[in-house]
Amino acid sequence: MRYFKRISLILIIILFSLILMNEYSMPNGKILIKDIVVNKKNNFHYINFNQELNFDSLIINAINKGIPLVFKVVLRVVEKKEIWPTKIIKKEVRYYQIEYKALRKIYRVIDTNGKIHEYKNIAEATEKILKIKELELAIDDNGDFELWLNVSLDRKKLPKPLQVNYFDSTWNISSEKGIHKLGKLN
Amino acid sequence: MKYIITIVSFIGIALLILLAKAISNSELISSDSFRILLGLNIFFICSLIVLIGFQIFRLLQSVKKEIIGSRLTLRLVMSFALMGIVPVLIVYLVSVNFLTKSIESWFDVKVESALEGGLTLGQKTIDILMEDIELKGKSIAYSIGNVAPEKRNSLLTDLRAKFGIQDAVIFDLNSIIIEVSSEKSNLIPPIPSINDLERGGREFFGRIEEEDGEQIFLKTFTPILTKNINSKTLILQLTQPIPPAIANLALSVESVYGEYQQLTYSRNSLKIIYILTLTLVLLLALLSSVSASFIISRRFSSPLAMLADATKQISKGNYKKIISEQGKDEIGVLIRSFNSMTSQLEDATKNSEKDRERVEIARTFLETILAHLTTGVIVLDEKKIIQLNNIAASKMLKIKPTDMSNKLMSEIINKNLLFKPLYEYVESYINNNKENKKETSQEFKLNKDSEQERTIMLQVTPLKDNKGKSYVLVIDDVSEVTQVQRHRAWGEIARRLAHEIKNPLTPIQLSAERIQHKFKSKLSKEDSEILERSTNTIVNQVNALKIMVNEFAEYARPPKTQKDAVKIDNLIDEVVDLYDIDKIVKIKKDKKIPIIYADQNKLRQVIINLLENSQDALKQIKNKEIKIFLNSKSNEIELVLEDNGIGIPDMIIGRIFEPYVTSKKTGTGLGLAIVHKIIEEHKGKITIKRIKNSGTRVTINLKSGNK
Repeated sequence: MRYFKRISLILIIILFSLILMNEYSMPNGKILIKDIVVNKKNNFHYINFNQELNFDSLIINAINKGIPLVFKVVLRVVEKKEIWPTKIIKKEVRYYQIEYKALRKIYRVIDTNGKIHEYKNIAEATEKILKIKELELAIDDNGDFELWLNVSLDRKKLPKPLQVNYFDSTWNISSEKGIHKLGKLN
Repeated sequence: MKYIITIVSFIGIALLILLAKAISNSELISSDSFRILLGLNIFFICSLIVLIGFQIFRLLQSVKKEIIGSRLTLRLVMSFALMGIVPVLIVYLVSVNFLTKSIESWFDVKVESALEGGLTLGQKTIDILMEDIELKGKSIAYSIGNVAPEKRNSLLTDLRAKFGIQDAVIFDLNSIIIEVSSEKSNLIPPIPSINDLERGGREFFGRIEEEDGEQIFLKTFTPILTKNINSKTLILQLTQPIPPAIANLALSVESVYGEYQQLTYSRNSLKIIYILTLTLVLLLALLSSVSASFIISRRFSSPLAMLADATKQISKGNYKKIISEQGKDEIGVLIRSFNSMTSQLEDATKNSEKDRERVEIARTFLETILAHLTTGVIVLDEKKIIQLNNIAASKMLKIKPTDMSNKLMSEIINKNLLFKPLYEYVESYINNNKENKKETSQEFKLNKDSEQERTIMLQVTPLKDNKGKSYVLVIDDVSEVTQVQRHRAWGEIARRLAHEIKNPLTPIQLSAERIQHKFKSKLSKEDSEILERSTNTIVNQVNALKIMVNEFAEYARPPKTQKDAVKIDNLIDEVVDLYDIDKIVKIKKDKKIPIIYADQNKLRQVIINLLENSQDALKQIKNKEIKIFLNSKSNEIELVLEDNGIGIPDMIIGRIFEPYVTSKKTGTGLGLAIVHKIIEEHKGKITIKRIKNSGTRVTINLKSGNK
């Protein structure tokens, strides 16, 4: 009986920790990925998609105060197998950053290719980063493919002071880990 | 377990140091290493909580099982824990308060306003410079638009130099450079975008550009309006760097403002992480100290628990409990003293045990003696309550030995009034013994008027011990001794009498016969008849005296028996036949009567004497009856002879075996005395009793089987 009580206590602590960790690691779904289109051009497949960013006033205020935000686009193309676990054909990680330059009163966007774009207002700036164009997939036509796409705010690229509080969920900005069936591409 | 706690405590201290180091390094705080460290700390704290919980559980179990030392350990642990918890909690609360206030103080409103003011100042400066360059641009564009194309370059150079502009470039809408003027001689100007040129062709617009985060440039696009309507649209691009002093300051303010805002946003995060770290440090310190308190408490309580356990063992009589010596402190001295005391106690107990054994042996010895004494011994206290009595005493009083203990003597005596005179004597003695008289003794004749007269010798001895006074009563039944003494006295008398009387009897008889023989013929007939009658009387009386003397001699003779195998049933038949009294004698015998070893002649005399006594008692009785019973018992035979004669008077029945004690008018009174003597010589037993209505019963018991 006493061992049962001891094990129960340990289990309760572990369960509580897991719930806590899960709570803070849950994406809050502020980014919505939509309009995914796969095109074939010169025997290469490209993906285009739009995003809908639902920043709350706290995030917009933070941008306006000069906090740079870096978004991470993780794209995985996996081939589905009957028995064997799914095989990752390609993994592509891209970053884009948005920041406000207070002195010049401009919004600066550094796109996934590292190119800098500057805008007078935030709407123009976000408009730029919402559309992801011509992301190469590098797949052939014969497989049965799935596209796993996720866009999230990269907390590790936040300014150091903001990385301190691991428990602050304000900065948990992410899309759902969406799975999009591509099927056989022709 | 103490090793585990020690190791855990060291790990806790190490983690504490690492955490303290990490918290002082802002780079490290935001790193994954710090997160791992935090995780480790949390895991370690959980482990400590489990460990402490287990320790508490074990301790409570020990308390429940009443294990010696567990309560003391619990109290010490609680004391140590309280001693640790209270000050650490106070320090923690103060630290949290201090920390919160310190972090808040970093974000003073004035600082933020100053930074915002600085930033705005920079913005305004740039705006003013922009307005200035706008005016200059418009002025140059106007001038250029009104001169011939071949004079443009010199005019552009003059005006650029005049207005202090760094670069001035004229583009057409196709991004072709028309004119260039620059402070730098070898300038290859960057081509603006088509959008910029198109917009610049329509209207004036300016832009602030940053180069390498160090230098700020103002770039303006101004349309050049010419008089020739058909001429191409030209755009004047002016590039003017902001003075480095202003640019650096403005960039610095922007950078600081950004960092300040980042810090502002991390204010709560910093508070949380510092409080979390502080809490972890507190918990680590507290839990480590509580863990350590278990070891320290056990270390303190262990020797005391051993002492308590040893004391308990000693109270149970185990004096061999020796505690291992620990250290040279006061507890060590206490343990050594305790061990010395235990050793002394053991020696004392051994001696005491030996004394007790000696006393016990003596007591057992005394009890055995008392139990085997034929003399009754009773010990009374001052209240006359029986403290001790032996078996002989209870037999005398005819009461079970166990029923006598702790009873009032008077209660016991009321159950057997025969001994009342003794009690009265004792009561009187005790009541009057306040002056501590010496011992006293008294002889009592009990049952004087009955067949069982008893002579009791009572001796009372006062004792004085620490419980008070007590009295030892020694009761001795000397009836048999008295009787034996009396028989011996009679034997001596009979022997002397026989010796003194028997010797002159023969000369007297011979002298009387001689006188008769010599003088009978010489005397007259009448005198001769008188002489004959007188001498005959003398001879007859001498013969009678001879018979009496012979009987005395028989009574007084020394015990000498010739034992042979005797069939007593045949002997009885023979004697009965001899007396020819078959009609009145009824014999009842067991089927098998064992042989006894006895002097047949003397046994015959016993039977003859008893039958003669019975016949004498039956002389005046009409229905004369003598019954003889011969029974075989385990190691003896029992001969019972009953008659329905006149019986023996109560007054003499107690002394009936004494010489000259008889109820008959004739006879010497020695018959039963001789019978008694013969039976005693055969180590048998004879009793004589009156039968209830009339008659007498004589019972003889003789041992059978061996010589």
